[in-house]
Order: sequence, then C-alpha cells, then structure tokens
Amino acid sequence: MAALKASNFEPATWWVLGICLAFASGMTSNPLILISTIAFCVAVILIAREPAPWSQSLKFYLGLSAFILLTRVAFRIVFNYSAPADDTLLQLPALEINLGLGGSISMLGNVSAASLGAAFADGLRLSAIILSIGLANTLANPRKLLKSTPAALYEIASAISVAINLAPQLIESLQRVRRARSLRGRSKGLGALAGTVIPVLEDTIDHSLALAASMDARGFGRRGTMSRFEQTLARLMSLGSLLATSMAIYLFLVNGQLQLLALALGLLAVAFAAIAVRITSRKSNRTRLIKANWQSQDFAVMAFGGVAIFGAIMHWWLP
Amino acid sequence: MVALIKIADVSFSYKASDSPNLNRVNLQIESGEFVLVCGPTGSGKSTLLKVINGLAPHFTGGKFKGSIKLDEIEIASKLPHELSDKIGFVNQQPESAFVADTVIDELAYGLEQLGVAPAEMRVRIEQIAAQLGIEKLLHQPLGFLSGGQQQRVAIAAALAAGQKVLLLDEPTSALDPQAALEIVKTLKRLSSELGITVLLAEHRIERVVEQVDSVIVVHGDGSVTKGAAREQFNDYRMVPPVIELSQKLELLPLATTAAEARNGIGERLFEIRPRLPIAENAAKDWALKINELSVRYQDEIALQPFTATVNQAQITAIMGPNGSGKTSLLWALQGSGLRSTGTAITPWGDCASMPTDERLSVVAMVPQKASDLLFLNSLALELEESDRFAKVSPATTASLFEKLAGRIDPAIHPRDLSSGQQLALVLAIQLVKGAKILLLDEPTRGLDYAAKQQLADQLIKLRQMGKCIVLASHDVEFVALVADEVIQLAAGQMVFSGKTEIALGAESDLATQVAQICNQPGLLTVAQVVLS
Repeated sequence: MAALKASNFEPATWWVLGICLAFASGMTSNPLILISTIAFCVAVILIAREPAPWSQSLKFYLGLSAFILLTRVAFRIVFNYSAPADDTLLQLPALEINLGLGGSISMLGNVSAASLGAAFADGLRLSAIILSIGLANTLANPRKLLKSTPAALYEIASAISVAINLAPQLIESLQRVRRARSLRGRSKGLGALAGTVIPVLEDTIDHSLALAASMDARGFGRRGTMSRFEQTLARLMSLGSLLATSMAIYLFLVNGQLQLLALALGLLAVAFAAIAVRITSRKSNRTRLIKANWQSQDFAVMAFGGVAIFGAIMHWWLP
Repeated sequence: MVALIKIADVSFSYKASDSPNLNRVNLQIESGEFVLVCGPTGSGKSTLLKVINGLAPHFTGGKFKGSIKLDEIEIASKLPHELSDKIGFVNQQPESAFVADTVIDELAYGLEQLGVAPAEMRVRIEQIAAQLGIEKLLHQPLGFLSGGQQQRVAIAAALAAGQKVLLLDEPTSALDPQAALEIVKTLKRLSSELGITVLLAEHRIERVVEQVDSVIVVHGDGSVTKGAAREQFNDYRMVPPVIELSQKLELLPLATTAAEARNGIGERLFEIRPRLPIAENAAKDWALKINELSVRYQDEIALQPFTATVNQAQITAIMGPNGSGKTSLLWALQGSGLRSTGTAITPWGDCASMPTDERLSVVAMVPQKASDLLFLNSLALELEESDRFAKVSPATTASLFEKLAGRIDPAIHPRDLSSGQQLALVLAIQLVKGAKILLLDEPTRGLDYAAKQQLADQLIKLRQMGKCIVLASHDVEFVALVADEVIQLAAGQMVFSGKTEIALGAESDLATQVAQICNQPGLLTVAQVVLS
C-alpha cells in the first residue's frame, strides 16, 4: 500500500471525496458530525499534503471557516428573532430601530440558547463544506487533474489550471516588488498601494501573455474534424451542465435538504455533460501521454466518500 | 539550394497609425541554416520571429501585409497553433512559458495537442531528450532545474514533434556566460547535425557570432538585411568589442571572431590610454568595511564569511555565475537583507540598524528589475514624487535625470522609456536622497550595446562625484568599461579580489575579448587603444 500522500492518488479522487463530504455535511446539522468532518479534513490535509504551491492554503481555508462561523453567530446575536423566554442565555439591551421601512427592526435583546445553537450548527455546516472543498483543492494537483478531465471540458479546465498556476507567481512578484519598494522609501496613502499593485499587475499580465503565446505556439486550440455546429453544441452543453450544477447546489444549500427540483437539475447537468463529452471525445485529436491510472486505493478513498453520503441520506431519511 | 523560408514584401505594424516595425522585408532562409537576428532593443527582432510563426498578428494584434512561404506553402495567414507541428518557438523566460510541472509532461504537451499516439510519444520524447542532454531530468519538477536546464527543456519541448524550424527570442538573456555558451553550442549542433533551421534573436552578439552561418540585422527603421557576419557588421555600430576593434583598426577583411582578429593583428603592440579617468576624490576614503559577513537561509549557505573594504569614488564589480551569492551580498550590504553573521559598516553608520529614511540617505540600491520602483503615470509625476519624498527643492531629480539621460519629454509614460532610460530614472530617484553608496544588481540585463555604453558613462560620472558604487554583474565587457576592482564569487565563496586589469586580463577565465585578442597587460577595452 502506497503512503498516504496526495500524489499517490489520482487528483480526481480527492475531488470525489471532497464533494461527497461537502454534500454529506450539507445534509446534517448535527454539530458532532460536522466537527468530526472538519477534524477529518484537516487531518487528511496535514497528513497527505506535499510541498507544492497549491498545497499551502490550509490556513486560508481554516481562517475563512472561522470567519464564517463567527459571522454567522454574531449575526444571530445582533439580528435576533423573538426568542422564547424560557432558555435565555444572554440578556442584552434590546434596540428598536425604525428606518421608516414599514415597521421597526429589533436588534439584540434576549438571545436564546436554542437560536444560538442553531446559528452555531449552521456556521459549522458551512465551515465543513468549505474545508471539504479545501481538501480537494489542496490535495489535487491542478495540472494532473487537467489530464483526467474529459476533452469537452479541456479548455475550461486549462483556463482554471493556468489561473491556479498564476497564484504562486503572483505571490512571488508581490514579495519581490514589496522588497523593491522599501528601496525607494514608503510613500503614503494611495501611492503606496499603486506602487505595489502596478508592478505586480504588469508582471502578472506579462506572465499570462507569455504563457498564452507559448501554449498557442505549441498547438493549444487545434481542432479535430469537428464541424462548427458540433463545436457550438458541445460548448452549449458544457455551459448548460455547469449552470444546472450551480443551480442544483444553490437550491440544495438554501433548503438544506434534497428536493425534487435540485435532484432533477443535478440529473440534467450529468446528462448535458455526458452529451458534451461524447461529442468532443469522439472528434478530438488530442492524446494523453499518461492516462489516469485508477488504483484500489483511489476506489477505497472514494468509497469512503460514498459511505459518508449514504450515512447522511439515511440520517436525513430515517428521523 | 532551395530556400526553406521565403519572406516576400512583408510589412508589419502593431498599430495602423504607427510607422511600420517591419517595412517591405524580403528574406530567404535555407534549410538547416543557423541565423542570428540582431538589432537594437525595440527594433523589431522578436516581431520578425513572431511574424514567421503567426503570433504576430494573430496573437499580438497589428497589421500584416505580404507573403511568407515555408517549403513552398503559404503560411502567412495561418494561426500559430496550425503551425505548431512545423515551427517551434522558445521565448526569453522559459519558466514563464511552462505549461506542465515535470519535464516529461512539458515535453509531451505539444505532442498531445497534435494527437500523437502515446507509444510514439514516448519514443519521440526519449529521442529529443537525448539530443538535448536532459534524459536524466525527465521526471524532475521544472522548478528544481537551473536556468540553463530549463532553457534546454524549452528547446526540447519546441522540437519534440519533429519541427524543422526553431525560433528563439533571446533565450540566453537570463543565463550566465557559461550556460549561455552551452545553449548556443547545442543550437549549432541541432542545425548542423539534424538540419534544423534555427533563427536566434540575441543582442549579446559576442555570445553567438562565432557559431552562426549568417546574420539578419533588424535596423529599427523597418528595414531588415541578411548576409554573412562580415558584410553585415562592416559599418554597423551595435557590435561586440571584437568587431568594434576590427572596425577601429580597419582590418580587412573584417574580423568577426577572436581568432580572426588575432590573425589580423599579429604581434602588434598598441599605445594605450587609461581605462578610467582619474578619480577627483583621490584621497580614497573608505565607504564600506565588511567583516566576516555571511548569509545563510534555513539550510543553504548563500554567502560564506566575507571580508573586504570598499572605497569612495570607486566602482567595484561583484562577479560570479548565477546563484553564487551576488544578490544576497548586495541586499546584506544595503542593510535590509539578511545578515547571518558579521558586520558591514559605513562612515555614516551601520545601515542595518538605521530607520529606512536614514538608510536611504546613505545607501541607494537598484534591484534587478529597475522598473519595480516606477509606478506613476508620467515621467514628470515620478520626478515630482521623488523631489517631495526626498524633501529637496523642486526639479532636483529632474536635473540629475537630465544629467544622466539627456532631455526627455516629461509627459511620457515611464513604461514607454527604453530600459536604459528607466534605469537612469531609477538611478536619479535613488540618488537624489543624497546616498553616498550605490548598489546595482545586474544592471545590464536587457540593455543593448548603446544603452550599456550610456550606463557606463553615467556610472563613471557618479564615480567622479565621489560615490562608492558596487555592482553585481556577469557581463565581463561591461565590468571592463567601469570597474576599478573586481570581487569574484563562486558558490558563496570569495575566490578573487583585486584589480580589474588582473580579473579580466588575458590570463583569466573571464578575459575580455580585447584582452584575449591583444594579450597586452592593462589593455581590456576598445576605447583604450590609441591609433597612431
């Protein structure tokens, strides 16, 4: 058995696991399950991550989660609903503000343990989703992922991969420019900001253009025997699939449970994607040196994600 | 022989209103020819290359007219990716053009786009890797490679699909002389053994002139000429010292290589004038006392303990290959960089313990990318900002800048200045705060011969004003123009410290071209030769 290191697995494996965990977290509001999901994600990232530029963002995801959790709870305290008086946890002076929008808004006041608990669970749920996606993002090598994307999504995937690759370069030029700026002395206010932002932007644009020119000169964008109609159809299908996916996720998150519409949209997205993949893969001229190489360990990890979803559905279905 | 590439009546301009960058160009390039494309910075060298593979106008925009034929097939209207199986393209900075993260994936990229079957792909990758001597690096991450190795990977990637034409846009500009020489020799071998047609844009002509079959000069006024090196350089100004010397001595036929020049000159001894003017501040007060200074990042020693004294009114060059610790030393001297052990003090105090504003009045530094210090929308605004920040009377920076670079329209955007003018602007901004010590990191990168000469004149003016100048450079010919003393570093260790005449003399590995040719003690530059 290979060591539990990110690169020993197919990058898509991490995405499958991440999406499964995010999906499962979205369906539960049990703080214990959510906290253990978060702990699990952090542990897996810490064990499996490698010294690659895209693997250094755990702190960012943790910070974002903490921020969201705190904001969620703080909002619940400030914009309090009329809480039942029996389990009051905090007694704050109530504010009645009349903005002349038909009725007054009440803020603060008595905060009940139940409402605070619900806000906390809500925040935890979002944090768990963020860390699940964070897990996929930190562990999956974006360039390798590009290799296992179907031909139909190749162009979108390489745009994303190029964008991801620009991030470390951006940080590098930011460091260089800030260091250089200290040589000229600090100017105040807007000048200081412009002094950093403009050279960094210039660098980034130069870099992107050089990369794009290099990709173009090396054959990126060559077409097979696809007709213009097939091209357009494939693109529309890809776009439709993306839209349907986003809408399904939105509906799911808003309602916190599976709905017929969300399910239908999800299925529609899969159908669109399948058509697009079929058209382009059949006509594409592109080959891959190294094909995705799925091994038992990948299936084991993905199965784990499947179990998480199964558990969540069962939990939701059986009251 | 039939020409492989026929360029007929080609004109190109980036904007319809501009005067054309290329104007009615006619060229024929033979199969397997190794061609140097030279010309001043901004003359259109890289435009000429980009026109051939379609990046101009399809990628850059602009207006194109004329016909380009490759193997009798018209390619002028084709898109770059339609030509990717015939023409390989390598740009200045390989690291900014890499698509993959390991060598093998990078080599495979172009083949994958062409739809080559995986089995054949492996064979081709192995072949081209062997040709470029990178077969042992195939599974390495690209970020771990040296600059020279990265450039080899970029060349291999451009030729992996069996392309017969290779276009290179200043591929050696970020390399030290040794790595650059190896790349040029490899290109020569590709052209003579594999019959690959190589077009190499380069402004450091001395690095390549001995290897190439012919020379294309892009003159900057839109005209382009092609011919043998000897004819092309007969009365051309932007040339390396070996040709400049041959022109000055009116050698016939013109010598373009050190060996030819040596034959032409024979045992002649020249009357020579001093290389540098006598410094007015002859007292030679010290400006920097460096004692056991070392720099150590986590697990890597960038600079071994280093001791030296540097004087005022003196130019000191720190030389050594990339990664030998030059930049670390400069930043440590400046005071904001890491100093692991040791001290570096000035008569005005220790820069490391000064607040930033005070430090700037003692030591000024120009980083590798000088334009990092420029961020306003016009030259006038930059000059005003500088006066305000340095708390000097208005137009002080402007007059210093004019002294260095001449009179320039103050409304111009700093990005539109040439690299030499940008450098002069940064020098003026940095020096107006009254700094007595000036540090420069690789100041000649990207400068053509004219701009280098201009920078040399500027630095000598500053030396006459009593400044202590320390510059890191691996540009031997430039160092010979300006430096009193040379400190040589190798792998973080000082291996030489002494007079420039010895460091760059005929006996040294770093001998200037003139020293190699004349072998006369004390003679390093063309300007020293007095014609009787």
